[in-house]
Amino acid sequence: MGNSAIAISLALLGCVSAGWGISFATGKAVEAVARQPEAGTKIQTVLLLGAALAEATAIYGFVIALLMIFLK
Amino acid sequence: MEGFGEKIAEVMSSNKIDIHLFGLTIQISDAVIVMWIIMAFLIIFSIIFTRKMKTIPEGKQNIVETLVELINKLTEGSVGHHWKLFAPYIGTVLLFLVLSNTISIFNIIPSGEQLYHLTHIKAFQKFPDFNLIPPTKNASVAMGFAVMSMVAVLISGIRVKKVSGWLKSFLEPVPLLLPFKILDYVIRPLSLCFRQYGNVLGAVIIMELIYSSIPAFIPGVVSIYFDIFDGILQAYVFVFLTSLYIAEAVE
Repeated sequence: MGNSAIAISLALLGCVSAGWGISFATGKAVEAVARQPEAGTKIQTVLLLGAALAEATAIYGFVIALLMIFLK
Repeated sequence: MEGFGEKIAEVMSSNKIDIHLFGLTIQISDAVIVMWIIMAFLIIFSIIFTRKMKTIPEGKQNIVETLVELINKLTEGSVGHHWKLFAPYIGTVLLFLVLSNTISIFNIIPSGEQLYHLTHIKAFQKFPDFNLIPPTKNASVAMGFAVMSMVAVLISGIRVKKVSGWLKSFLEPVPLLLPFKILDYVIRPLSLCFRQYGNVLGAVIIMELIYSSIPAFIPGVVSIYFDIFDGILQAYVFVFLTSLYIAEAVE
C-alpha cells in the first residue's frame, strides 16, 4: 500500500459528487410531486433513471480504486 | 476480518474451466458458460411462447405481447421516427442483460457444503451448488456489449443518413467540434462498459461480504435490492443510453 492508499482515497472522492447529485435530483422530484401529485409515477421513473446516471461517477471511482488495489 | 481481502480478490478474478475435446484442451471462462445457459433459456423460452400464435391473444401469448409492446414503447419514446429498425436489437440486449445481471439471485440457495456444516446431515453433501456469477461482472463481457451498441450507432447513422450525410454530421454545428465528435466514439463505449461492470461487480462484492459474515436471513432481504433491483435498473439504463445515442446519430 503506502503511497497508493492516498491515491485510492482520492479516487473515492468521486462518490461525494454522486451523493450530491442524487440528493439534488431527489429534492427537485419531491418539489415536483408536491406541486403535481398526479404526475407521481412519471416523475418517479425519471428520478430513478437520473439517479442511476448520477451514480455512475461514484462507480467510476470505485472501479479505479479496486483496480489500483488488486491489479498493481 | 482478515479473510476479506482474499475473498474480494477471488471474486474479481475469473475462473477458467478446461474442456477436453478431440485431444485438445480448450480453456473457457465461467462467464461464457453462464452466458450459454442464458442463451439456451432465452431460445427455449421464445420457441415455446411463440408457437401457435392467434389473432386474439390468450394465455401465454399475452405475456409475450406485453413484453414486445413494452420494448416497442421504450424504443419509440427515445428513438422516435425510425424505431421499427432498432426495436429488435434493443429488445434482445435488454432481455439478455436483465437475465445476466439478475442471475446471481440463485446464490441465496445454500450450497451442499454449507447445509452440511449447519445440520451435519450427510445427504445434503450431494446437493448441487447454484453459485452462478453474473457474466457482466467480467469487464470483457461488459466491453463487448458496449462495443456492440457503438457499432449499432455507427451502422444506424450510415444507413439512415447515407455515407455523405453521415460524414457531414461530423462538421454539423461548427467544424471546431470535430475532435470531440471523434472522441465520442471512444469515450461512450468506455463509459457504458465501466457503468455496467462497476455496478455489477460492486453488487457481487457486497453480496459476497454479506454471505460470509451473516449467512442467514439478511442476504435474502438485501439481495432483492442488490441483485434484482440494481440489475434490472442497470440493464434499463444501458439500453436507454444506447437508444439515446442511436437517436442522436439518426436525427
